[in-house]
Amino acid sequence: MDKKEETVIFPKNPNKTYGLMELTKTKSFQIEKGPDNTVTSWPHLLFRELILFMGVFIALMIISMVFNAPLEEQANPSNTPNPAKAPWYFLGLQEMLAWAHPFWGGIFVPTVVTIILILTPYFDTSQKGVGVWFAPERRIANLLFTIFIVLAVGLIVVGEFFRGPNWQIFWPWNMPSPH
Amino acid sequence: MKMNRLWELLTNNRFYKSIFRHGYPDDEIKRSEVVTGNLFLHIQPVKVHKNTIRTGYTLGLGLISFYLFIILTVTGVLLMFYYIPSIERAYNDMKDLEFAVSFGIIFRNLHRWGAHGMVAFVFLHMCRVFFTGGYKSPREFNWGIGVILLILTLFLSLTGYLLPWDQLAFWAITIVANLIGTTPPEKIMGASLRQVVLGGTIVGQNALIRFYVMHVVVLPLVAAALIGVHFWRIRKDGGISRPAEE
Ligand code: HEM
Repeated sequence: MDKKEETVIFPKNPNKTYGLMELTKTKSFQIEKGPDNTVTSWPHLLFRELILFMGVFIALMIISMVFNAPLEEQANPSNTPNPAKAPWYFLGLQEMLAWAHPFWGGIFVPTVVTIILILTPYFDTSQKGVGVWFAPERRIANLLFTIFIVLAVGLIVVGEFFRGPNWQIFWPWNMPSPH
Repeated sequence: MKMNRLWELLTNNRFYKSIFRHGYPDDEIKRSEVVTGNLFLHIQPVKVHKNTIRTGYTLGLGLISFYLFIILTVTGVLLMFYYIPSIERAYNDMKDLEFAVSFGIIFRNLHRWGAHGMVAFVFLHMCRVFFTGGYKSPREFNWGIGVILLILTLFLSLTGYLLPWDQLAFWAITIVANLIGTTPPEKIMGASLRQVVLGGTIVGQNALIRFYVMHVVVLPLVAAALIGVHFWRIRKDGGISRPAEE
């Protein structure tokens, strides 16, 4: 590295004096290298990945030892539970079925949401605030997305905890048994 | 240090080196070989930006989704040894898993709770990416891949939901099938889509085998391939997003 290049990469602070202080032995390549903000994947990244895997596995194992997966009576086409519910992640859609012709809640909304999600990055092109949680420059985008999440989760909560026989609204603590 | 001598002993021998092709990674060259010399690890870069390993940035949510996918694959294969997708046998096989097969209940629980967890964590991961602006150029396409992965995750869960062949399964799938049947024009499009999904007009043997094949072969393969693309794109897009450097 010649002198000119060096001053570009390590700009000198005029308030300090510089001199050779010490020579050190090191096992990494320092030639032609400016200051950077990287670390080697081993051990810094891979070790964290391993710990996280153990954490996930142990947590799931504990849950699986404490709670059993549900298994009801054998399927019986002539015995309709009231209400019959979809799995929780589709309850938002099932909830919307109650409002209008099922096509709107069941097909139209999810299709439109998917298309909007995929296209979002092509419309929201500003580079401001990338890499920062809840960046103030992205207030509107974050607000819109938060509304979307609250609606999606809210509908699921209503469908799961507040809907009883004939898809009527009940308080969770007043919920009649489903059969 | 004693520890160092132990590592020396464990790693500085022909057996260890025949597997890992390098000694204990105590300098940068060997550390880079940990990654580049390993088929499974070399999709990752040798060096990563400090922001990438900041726990508070990604919260590890994408990685947790991936780990759950792996755990689901392994436990799913174990369940396949005992489960026969026939409406006469499926429910009894579930009972056997619960009461007769050693550790059967544990594998079933791991699979069931792992599946619910994966739906939740993929969703949370999407929220993380949005709130950190991680979907912006050059990562637009990888966000799109992600949306497809979310849908695949939902369909994987849904197709698995029918397999126990209990009341919960049967009626949940009946609802979803009716929902698919409302695609307009209902009499033509909706009815035929429903027919394709169920292989008939009601949830019966044909529906079970269709859901089973989708659940154990088609969807996992597509998901695994897309997860591969997702990871490869992370690298090509310059690693995990981070704040612009001054
Ligand atoms: C099966 C589901 C998925 C898996 C296994 C997965 C895995 C990952 C992993 C491991 C990362 C690295 C960073 C991190 O851990 O957060 C990542 C990043 C990313 N994921 Fe996913 N993901 C999945 C679904 C999604 C979804 C649903 C979206 C969005 C709709 C998405 C969009 C992205 C984007 C844009 C990045 C780059 C983020 C950045 O650079 O900040 N992924 N994914």
